[in-house]
Amino acid sequence: MQDAKLGGTPNFYRAFLLALFGTYIFFNLGPIFWIIISSLKSRADLFAMPPKWIFDIDSTGYESVFGVGAARGTASAYGVTDSLINSVIVSSSGTFLAVLLGTLGGYVCSRFDFRGKGDFLFFVLSTRMLPPVAVLVFYHLMFARLGLADTKTGLVIVAIFANVGLATWIMKGFFDGVPKQVEQIAVVSGYSRMYAFVYLVLPMVRGGIAATAGFCFIFAWNEFAFASILTTTQAKTLPVKISAASGATGIEWTQIMSAGVVLIIPVLIFFYLIRKHLLMGMTFGILGRS
Amino acid sequence: MTLTLNQTNKPLVPLKKKSSGRLMILGFLSPTLAILLFMVAYPIFSLIWNSVHQFSALNLNQEFKYVGLENYTYLLSDADLWQRFIFTGKFVFVCVSIQMIIGIFVGYRLQRSFRGRDLIFTLLMMPMMLSPVVVGFLWRYMLNSEWGIVNYLMSLVGLGQVNWLSQTTPALFAAAAADTWMWTPFIILLATAAFRGIPDTIYEAAEVDGASPAYVFFRVTLPMSAPVLFIALILRLIDSFKQYDLFFALTGGGPGSSTETVSFAVAKRAFNYFYTGEASALAVILLFIIIGLSMILVRHLNNMGEKN
Repeated sequence: MQDAKLGGTPNFYRAFLLALFGTYIFFNLGPIFWIIISSLKSRADLFAMPPKWIFDIDSTGYESVFGVGAARGTASAYGVTDSLINSVIVSSSGTFLAVLLGTLGGYVCSRFDFRGKGDFLFFVLSTRMLPPVAVLVFYHLMFARLGLADTKTGLVIVAIFANVGLATWIMKGFFDGVPKQVEQIAVVSGYSRMYAFVYLVLPMVRGGIAATAGFCFIFAWNEFAFASILTTTQAKTLPVKISAASGATGIEWTQIMSAGVVLIIPVLIFFYLIRKHLLMGMTFGILGRS
Repeated sequence: MTLTLNQTNKPLVPLKKKSSGRLMILGFLSPTLAILLFMVAYPIFSLIWNSVHQFSALNLNQEFKYVGLENYTYLLSDADLWQRFIFTGKFVFVCVSIQMIIGIFVGYRLQRSFRGRDLIFTLLMMPMMLSPVVVGFLWRYMLNSEWGIVNYLMSLVGLGQVNWLSQTTPALFAAAAADTWMWTPFIILLATAAFRGIPDTIYEAAEVDGASPAYVFFRVTLPMSAPVLFIALILRLIDSFKQYDLFFALTGGGPGSSTETVSFAVAKRAFNYFYTGEASALAVILLFIIIGLSMILVRHLNNMGEKN
């Protein structure tokens, strides 16, 4: 249909548009290709001009990220491995708790009418809009007072706060897709609402829970602003550690590139799994409800 | 059968169940509510309270002095701070306009079916899922004036060399390029969704009337997808206005302090200089701007909801 519509346009015009489209695809995919290539280069090859397209694969960067090989016990003194572990712990427990709370909240908002529901949902939406630095001015003071500064517990709390809104909105959308008759039949048959929720409705939104978890994990995993201010040594996450590799002594590009790829890989795996729900996840469930 | 159940359902549900519903609402919502009160409402109120005091996070025991609106008047008379607002405004304008144009164009182009379209669409979505810090460093690496691939590619097509990150205006465009790389996919995502929502029959009618493709695009496609594109626009305005991570990694606010956004200025005042009261006041100003934009979005969503 669309092809037929463009049938009348001159050839050079179509070729021009095609070239623009091609340029954008190159612009879009090139950098990802380039970071993967660069992460496999040796320090000398990284700075070669003109850039080297053929080079010997060098794994020093990755060795220093995981503290293996030549970097065993040495340059991993940068503590990249520790920060990787911190990242895994903080984002997975943050995701688990945010999805748990979001599932409960989303269910209630989908099934019940209660006073202040609109206000609650708007309040939840505000977590998407808030500039992190604004609340950070206060968290910084509060976390120090409560002994949460530079702890993984503190970061998990932040991860819950940052993702529970998203989880609530998306899960509400998935619950809206389950017919209300499910609970009605259950209640009529003598089961409690709680039973209906746990044993009938929850299994029906398993896919939705997985997608929600995928989004929360990606956002928690990438989170930088909060972690950079609220951690100093012990609880640094991988993004913070990467930014610390640019210091007074210059930028450790080999390490940044490899750590960057290590940070990207889980994101791409989760991204692939949730690609069908992208519209919903990226707009906080405003659009793309199924 | 479901129909009859639906009708007979209400009287069948005993009164007791109703109170269990209330218990469920309370039990299921209170953890989320507690977290949000503690992490959103409480911070915002104390931010406002802090913003009318002069104090530093370094010595909390002393000098907690009420100064009224002094922090605000000081900030608003600070020419340096106005520069941050002007820079942020320029950045937002450049980014969002470029992203909207490219995003709508690519989204429209992706409406045509061709082999491998779904795969390309998925691949194109990748940048927005990545960590802004990694994106910032990646572009910093690619834009390096000595060994960056961008200057190399420019030299291949006969363009001059640019010191991207050490001059004010090129640094603005470098940041805009990185932000555009990361967030144009978001516009593409929303634009394709909006375009897909337009029924084929409308296009067929336009074709019967002999409308040119350009006419169809500007008079049919764009107006009909405007509500969704508007959501994309506002969300991008909000997000680019509060941009912080990307600049942290890409320019570090430099050269000098010429690429510091308002968010960056808040962070610097609060965590480098420890002017906590002043930083709180600036954070309140930032919050009001974001809340204003959010209100536009919420009102728009309500209007859209009423129409459907």
